[in-house]
Amino acid sequence: MSLLQTVKLWGENIPWFEGLREKGRIAFEKVGLPTAKTEAWKYSFFKEDDLRNPQIDMTEHHCCEHCEQHSALPFEALKIEYCNGRLHSEELPPLAGLMIKPLVEAIYDKDVQPYLNKSFDLEQFPFAALNTAYLEQGLFILLERGTTLSKPIYICYHHHDNANCLCHIRNVIVLENSADATIIEHFDAEPNAIYTQNIVNEIFIGNNASLRHLTLQNEALAAHHVLLNSVEVKNNGCYRSFCAQKGARCSRQENFIKLLQEGAEAEVNGIYRLVADKQVCDTTTNIRHLAPHTLSNQLVKGVAEKAGRGVFQGQIHIAPNAQQCEGYQLHRALLLDDNAEIDCKPELEIFADDVKCSHGAASGDLDKEQLFYMQTRGIDEQQAIAILITAYIDEVIQKITDDSLKNWIKQNF
Amino acid sequence: MSKTILQIKDLHAGVAESQKEIIKGLNLEIKAGEIHAVMGPNGAGKSTLSYVLTGKPDYAVTGGTVSFNGQDLLALAPHERAAAGLFLSMQYPVAIPGVATNNFLKHAVNAQRKYHGLPELDAAEFLKLLRQTAKEFDVSAEMLKREINVGFSGGEKKRLEILQMSLLQPSLAILDEADSGLDIDALKIVANGVKKWHNQDNALLIITHHLDLLNLIEPDFVHIYADGHIVQSGDKNLAVELEQSGYKNFLDAEK
Ligand SMILES: Nc1ncnc2c1ncn2[C@@H]1O[C@H](COP(=O)(O)OP(=O)(O)OP(=O)(O)O)[C@@H](O)[C@H]1O
Ligand SMILES: [Mg+2]
Repeated sequence: MSLLQTVKLWGENIPWFEGLREKGRIAFEKVGLPTAKTEAWKYSFFKEDDLRNPQIDMTEHHCCEHCEQHSALPFEALKIEYCNGRLHSEELPPLAGLMIKPLVEAIYDKDVQPYLNKSFDLEQFPFAALNTAYLEQGLFILLERGTTLSKPIYICYHHHDNANCLCHIRNVIVLENSADATIIEHFDAEPNAIYTQNIVNEIFIGNNASLRHLTLQNEALAAHHVLLNSVEVKNNGCYRSFCAQKGARCSRQENFIKLLQEGAEAEVNGIYRLVADKQVCDTTTNIRHLAPHTLSNQLVKGVAEKAGRGVFQGQIHIAPNAQQCEGYQLHRALLLDDNAEIDCKPELEIFADDVKCSHGAASGDLDKEQLFYMQTRGIDEQQAIAILITAYIDEVIQKITDDSLKNWIKQNF
Repeated sequence: MSKTILQIKDLHAGVAESQKEIIKGLNLEIKAGEIHAVMGPNGAGKSTLSYVLTGKPDYAVTGGTVSFNGQDLLALAPHERAAAGLFLSMQYPVAIPGVATNNFLKHAVNAQRKYHGLPELDAAEFLKLLRQTAKEFDVSAEMLKREINVGFSGGEKKRLEILQMSLLQPSLAILDEADSGLDIDALKIVANGVKKWHNQDNALLIITHHLDLLNLIEPDFVHIYADGHIVQSGDKNLAVELEQSGYKNFLDAEK
């Protein structure tokens, strides 16, 4: 059984839509799964065998006791849930200025057409190509011009069985000019669940619009997780993301961000923990400064508690005409296991001369003097280590401006 | 007869890695209610003694015994030594970026309570305790919110060390140059805090180079420590003598 499977999907009778799928299929057939030789994937590729024949699940979703039990949240939010890769079909409470509907509905209404598959090149992103071949599950979220959402949109992806299903989910998120929103994605599972999750978010941020995008990836430890955020930011628009990852056997969070027009801004912050041997956690970012006066900032910190592998690849591209841009990037990792590995690949591609850019990377051990100082106060070694880890990642968590979200991340990471 | 808190017998210890011996046959007994002062030239091994007693992994004990309130001190892990009632005010307190002072102190107090099977203090209870103690040492609420020892002045660090002693209520406190870097007022604050804590059930080991602190906290015994062991012991007059004539006479007499 290959990753390309023959299944019956919604919307096969819609030519433009079926055409997109066909393009995805062709692209994936051409490029295939990344291997050790694929430059962008050399640290975190995995073999098809590792996925153990995942199956695209076509059965209709039936709510069960798992669906609601994980939804208690310490903050107010508009909740949307995926269960085993399939969207709950419940009615969503309306909010002024917000349109939100399942992707399959948006296909028929055609309002998603100007955005779907418009932000990236299929052959550059093999998993996104595969995702395109199976377009169906997903959301279309559109925030109308000038709308400020009063509460965040919270999207939970929950897995609770070990049928090894292969889930392709596409979310299209559009913020029209001067819109403002917070979107939270929470990947959550029963500890023994087995699945492969392939998510693509296409995000379009209009002039003066602002999106805060928070991700908590807490997948089951046998799961595979591949996610692409493909983002376009226009004039003075702003995309701020924070991603916390600690689950999955192998996870890759990729951010492909185009700062299209003057004043566009992106902030990509993240923390990750390697909590199991052989775990792989990849953060790959490509920020493309395509206009003058654009700004980007990245801060990612990792903690390797076990013999896993952390990967950080950060590309900053500054186009020839993009003068007076600023692009900063910093990755740091704490290695608590002698057999842990951190692979860090910063890449600056600068074609303009009047810019400010920097990148930095460092990895190290816990400070022995600090550990001993705490122990002389009665704190045992294990707790002292935990306190130091918390302090280490806190620098990044502090970048979250909303206190209740900050605390939620602290409690769940 | 008051009970013995610390009993060191023929202690030998050195740097774990290089096996360089620093403490060479040290004997010392400290009883409840007593105040001992240790004075000695730079590099004599005073701080090393404080680290060996608190269990710093950089040092290895190669001989001798240490009993603490009847327990084999050397068999305990550093945090257990602390919970058993041993406190060290460090010569160079360690900065921990990212850890707020008040949080750190709460962890410490509750870790020790937990060790003794006592219920942990909740945020309100701890805050009340901390406020009282902080006032005593003239430590501001603003300072307690800062990351511990990060950017603190020398004197601020030392005041915070003694504040921790007062919070943790040990049975033996070792003050390693607690007076260095303190201005006149801070020295008084520290001395008063120490005196307030000190009683007939606990004991104090003061490592210092100066008489000033000993004038404020009168020691019962003064030991001259050189080259890894005690070369002479006496009462406070020994410190006065030392202040006038320096170490030369004592070290020559040794040879
Ligand atoms: N970890 C170590 N590695 C190597 N040498 C060490 C180590 N710790 C201490 N020493 C050495 O042991 C000797 C004693 O040092 P220690 O700090 O105990 O002296 P001290 O009596 O406290 O001096 P001071 O009065 O200057 O504080 C010094 O020569 C010092 O360099
Ligand atoms: Mg010293």
